[in-house]
Amino acid sequence: MCVHRAAQADALSAADPVVRVCNHDCRRRKFLACIYHKRIQSTNRNCEITADVRHDGSEPLVDVMFADGERLLMKGANLTTIEMLTALGSRCNAKELKEEQKSKKKSP
Amino acid sequence: MAARSGGTWRRGERPSRDRPLRGLRQGCPPPGRASGPRPRAPPRQQRDRRAGGGRGPSAEDGYTRLLRQQVEQVFREHRLVAVCQYNSLPGEDVVLMRHYLRKHGIEVKFILNEIIRPFLSQSKYKNLLPLFVGRNVLLVSQDTKVKDMLRVLKGVPQINLLGACIDDTILSRQGVENFAKLPSLEAAQGQTAGALALLPSQTSSLLQRGPAHLTALLDQHILQLQAGQAGTPPETPPAQSSGAH
Repeated sequence: MCVHRAAQADALSAADPVVRVCNHDCRRRKFLACIYHKRIQSTNRNCEITADVRHDGSEPLVDVMFADGERLLMKGANLTTIEMLTALGSRCNAKELKEEQKSKKKSP
Repeated sequence: MAARSGGTWRRGERPSRDRPLRGLRQGCPPPGRASGPRPRAPPRQQRDRRAGGGRGPSAEDGYTRLLRQQVEQVFREHRLVAVCQYNSLPGEDVVLMRHYLRKHGIEVKFILNEIIRPFLSQSKYKNLLPLFVGRNVLLVSQDTKVKDMLRVLKGVPQINLLGACIDDTILSRQGVENFAKLPSLEAAQGQTAGALALLPSQTSSLLQRGPAHLTALLDQHILQLQAGQAGTPPETPPAQSSGAH
């Protein structure tokens, strides 16, 4: 289900997510499994996903750096997998819309 | 309308709701089935039917038992059991990864969480339970070639090392990386022997220092005497206490 949602949102376009995973954190691991899916990976081959596994009780974190310098930081143990994927997908869609509008303005 | 033939219902015909009770009373249920609605199958059988396994309950338990025995064997016979998160990987990459790991004597095992979680909860490895969420893969070896394993995993970003159990010691990812930096057993033994031999060698040199100094002084004195006999009148030798050696 989470893969379908992420694929619909055409996630990972121009994004480099760094996922910090704690050993008890199953939701971040599910998020990682979703964005590693081949359909999601096929949306952006240049995307680099880094998993930072820690067992020090630190807060789980998803840090996404976009190509235009914008950063999406999702932290907190209270976020579900779907919420994280939806947030990432909506950001990616918004950026794509901006790009399309820019390209339309440039071309008459 | 259901037709009765020889005391059994015709295949494909079911009594409908609109039929009067009279119609239902006309027939009798097939032998072996109690009257009333058919009871629902237990959840396990429903899952089997959905999966298309079609195995009976006794066969599935036997297979589950076999898989659990294999898991017990893995933990019993292997010194290194590393738990990794398995993300989607192309088939060719899986084959290559298995090939490179097998070169170093490391095997890749895919085990279902439903099999391994009950085993872990009843064993001394229960602290590994939180790692078994989602899709996992075990890297097992009878040696502790952690450095080689980490080198291969570096080239496979889809496999994330979560933790390991090395010689019945549970280590985190950081612990595994620190373990990889340790020197080999032979090198560690040599370093220990060298450190232990250092102190006695220093003690020996300290004990030999006094007699060595005395010997040097006596030699110098003899040279001076010989030089004196050759050119100058002999000097009275200084009073020396005869040192008992």
